[in-house]
Amino acid sequence: MKARQWIGTVALTAYLAVIVVPLVWVLISSLKTSPEIFASPWSLPAKPKFENYAAAWNEAGLAKYFWNSVLVTVGSLAALIPIGAMASYIFARYPFRGSKLLYAIFLGGMMFPNFLVLAPLTDLLRRLGLTESLVGLGIVYVAFSLSFTVFVLTGFFQSVPTELEEAAVLDGCGHLMVYRKIMLPLARPGLIVAAIFNGLGLWNEFNLALVLANSESIRTLPIGLANLTMARQYQADWGSVFAALVIVMLPAFVVYWRYRERIYEAMLAGAVKG
Amino acid sequence: MRNTKGRNAFIFAFLSPAVLIYAVFLVWPLLQSFQMSMYRWRGVSRNRKFIGAENFNNLFQDPVFWKSLQNTGTLLVVAGIATIALGVLLAHLTDGDGAVRKFARAIYLFPQVISLVAVALIWQFQLNPKYGLVTDMLFRLGLPVRDPGIVRDPRYAFSAIAVAFVWHALGFFVLLFSAGLKQISGEIKEASALDGSEGWHRFRHVTWPLLWSVKRTAITYLLIHILTVFALVFVMTEGGPDRGTETIVSYLYEQIAKNGQYGYASALAVVVFGVSMVASLAVLAYFRKDPTAGARA
Repeated sequence: MKARQWIGTVALTAYLAVIVVPLVWVLISSLKTSPEIFASPWSLPAKPKFENYAAAWNEAGLAKYFWNSVLVTVGSLAALIPIGAMASYIFARYPFRGSKLLYAIFLGGMMFPNFLVLAPLTDLLRRLGLTESLVGLGIVYVAFSLSFTVFVLTGFFQSVPTELEEAAVLDGCGHLMVYRKIMLPLARPGLIVAAIFNGLGLWNEFNLALVLANSESIRTLPIGLANLTMARQYQADWGSVFAALVIVMLPAFVVYWRYRERIYEAMLAGAVKG
Repeated sequence: MRNTKGRNAFIFAFLSPAVLIYAVFLVWPLLQSFQMSMYRWRGVSRNRKFIGAENFNNLFQDPVFWKSLQNTGTLLVVAGIATIALGVLLAHLTDGDGAVRKFARAIYLFPQVISLVAVALIWQFQLNPKYGLVTDMLFRLGLPVRDPGIVRDPRYAFSAIAVAFVWHALGFFVLLFSAGLKQISGEIKEASALDGSEGWHRFRHVTWPLLWSVKRTAITYLLIHILTVFALVFVMTEGGPDRGTETIVSYLYEQIAKNGQYGYASALAVVVFGVSMVASLAVLAYFRKDPTAGARA
């Protein structure tokens, strides 16, 4: 038993090292000069070079990509959450003929990978004049995020006890009033879970953005970073490339650290179905 | 007690934004990709020509298609075995008290929530022939990893992609199996302990069979998410060397973005769609009857 515990601890520590060491190494390298990076992967910087971050942010254009990402993520969420919540409320509380089928069609979107529709989608956006536009990308993001959002929020609305609604209706509240005054506040935890989970997913989204929005001025952070490093292959300033990588991961880390319990919940909820 | 006044109008008003956007930007393109797969069409030009099954015939004679399908399948099997085996093991190891375990549970999903581009770069940098941390370690162990470098070496490139994918995905499987282990009731654990079943024996005959529905979820998840490996391939190897890491999505991307072959790309998408549907149904059929239902708390 002793030996087994010891082996377990060693294995667990190894696992943690595999996660943490690369991240710490990237962080340390982001503060080194290029000659220091090439001298040894293990060395510490003689003097932390914070200028790498300024170079990545300004000269490499990360600032622009960052704001593009903020814009498209926040914009998509601002449309997605209300639209998704409204539909979910109907699915949870207003059954009608065919509503089960419609709900199933919505959930079906979780089952197939989004890139399968890239060719027709590109054509559609071109005809609507929405290619190479953050608005077009945002609309597509809303469409592709609805499945998971509707799934999670329908569950939340279903879990709200019906007595409250009934009392409100007796008091003369209309449909809209019940939704706004009673259901929305009660479903708040669900709205937060949906916003965090979708927010992370959209912040990181790569496939759709690569095909639908790849011109220099509207690149999002993942596309910008991929381009940056592929173009910089033969350039010298490696420290700032590492700094760019840290800048990209930082917001995700902050959100993860603050909300990880909710992220776990959302992932498990999605997994049970998906 | 149901408020029927204006009910239908309310339903319509609340449902239509979601239905409209979902139908136009997801369902419609999906249906269209089936139609497009039967046309010769290069995106930009207006003229498209109906060619029936020609795209499919060409596809089935396209060695790169088969190569990318095979690579995707291999990755699915290799990454599947690795994530499920390590996921079960680590779910056991991270369970319980103590600072190390708590820290592990706080951190393990982080590789999953960062951008795949970041994951690709973390590994590309670690595997860089000149300054990479992992390259340095492997070189000290005597492996010839410096020239031309791991991601450019046909012997190692595929493994590099697989390792990066597992690093990214593993946390989810630990989470999943941890939840599965918690569902196994204390009574069963006690009963099997009384029967003298513990350690490997208990795992083999009690725990592993009881993780039935978790295994189904894990495999379904892999089937869907293996395709996200595209971002890793795109950044780390661009499908090379010599198509050695070409996956089905990177090939699809090439057909759209580089060659503008929308019809051919749609045929490719339809085949992938079919294959993944069949695979999902096979998983569902295999796991349909849960022989252990009722044994969980």
